Amino acid sequence: MPRIVTYTLFSLLLILLSTTLLRFLAIGDIVPDVLLIWIVYIAIREGQIAATTAGFLIGLTIDLLSGAEGMVGLAALTKSIAGFLAGYFYNENKTLQTLGGYQFLVAVGVVSLVHNVLYFLIFLQGTDLSWWKIIVSYGLTTTLFSTAAALLPMFVIARKYLT
Amino acid sequence: MRRLFDILGLFKEYFLLALFILISLLLLSSNDTSQIRSIRSLTVASVGYLQDILGFIPNYFALKQENRVLREVNLTQAEELSRLRDAVIENGQLRRLLGLKEQLPLQYQAANVVGKTLHLLRNSITLDVGEREGIRLDMPVVTDAGLVGKIVSTSDHYSLGQILLNRDFRASAKVQRSRVDGILVWEGGQTVQLKNVAKTLDVRPGDLVVTSEYSSIFPPGIKIGLVKNTSQAPGALFQIVEITPSVDFTKLETVFVVMHVPDSSRVTISRRAAH
Repeated sequence: MPRIVTYTLFSLLLILLSTTLLRFLAIGDIVPDVLLIWIVYIAIREGQIAATTAGFLIGLTIDLLSGAEGMVGLAALTKSIAGFLAGYFYNENKTLQTLGGYQFLVAVGVVSLVHNVLYFLIFLQGTDLSWWKIIVSYGLTTTLFSTAAALLPMFVIARKYLT
Repeated sequence: MRRLFDILGLFKEYFLLALFILISLLLLSSNDTSQIRSIRSLTVASVGYLQDILGFIPNYFALKQENRVLREVNLTQAEELSRLRDAVIENGQLRRLLGLKEQLPLQYQAANVVGKTLHLLRNSITLDVGEREGIRLDMPVVTDAGLVGKIVSTSDHYSLGQILLNRDFRASAKVQRSRVDGILVWEGGQTVQLKNVAKTLDVRPGDLVVTSEYSSIFPPGIKIGLVKNTSQAPGALFQIVEITPSVDFTKLETVFVVMHVPDSSRVTISRRAAH
């Protein structure tokens, strides 16, 4: 099966998961962004163009499915940028080492921080929350949660391919 | 073209990202939520601030066009300024005339001076009002500055005014301060004389001269001018009183005809007595 089909199917599965079951893992309002972890994974496996495109398409699908509470285009925007940024961690000679090592966590952390700050700054515009509070309360906590969630695929890959 | 594709290939990641961002922003801008409104206002404020900061950088491409437009605007506004200045002067004149009209309890007929002679012995002005407008012989002609003359000839739509600077003009006048009377005549030059003023009477330079109650044609109190100087010829009984007319005849454009018809019986008896 071509890899693009695999990626597409797995993306749809994760979208379904994130819109239905993932809310059960929420701590307060914060949920790990598994789709972002998936985009970083694609970036490290396939490179910047694939990750940017995947980010845009996944974000657009989420926007269309959820309506993004009247913010159609926001997820597409932030996830495109996230995919582009994640592409800088791509090294075709060290793909598995990156995915199975701390570099994957660094990539998820950095990309997630940029993504979340951008997302919440736009999403919470017009509210009484200050920029600083938006960055700390939403941007940093979601980043930490997503980075922690990225430990799972990192361990799986490390165990499967690097031992 | 090939070079363009090469450049596109070299920066394809960036072009792709720019395309996705553009699509996303278009989608975002189609929403009408409070967040988007807030971002829009933030964007407008930011762009305005940047434009303000970068405003000192001249736009060289637009300067030529801007200069051309500015020259045209300058020309138009110069013409407009000229018209406005004329209007201001005219407005001032009309206001003064209106003020005069409100001051005196007399009926006035405004008239434009359409003809004027100032260098002859019998100088006159032609007015664009005539019998149709109620103009009659001997009606006084004035401006806000003072006495101009009187009507000596009329037609349906025009009339001829005899001005102070005319050898045939006579008016009974008095010095306002000392109530000294005399006969106003013109003997050439830019001044008029007050005749029949005895040497002993009190007349000083700067005194205001007005029409007197003895005049059968002019209502009393109309300003004529200021005493320029007085002199006494040796052996003469009367002094020579030079008066500078308060009206500048060279700038005469609009006047008022006083709709004051002299008492005909008084005029007749005065003329009979003179003869």
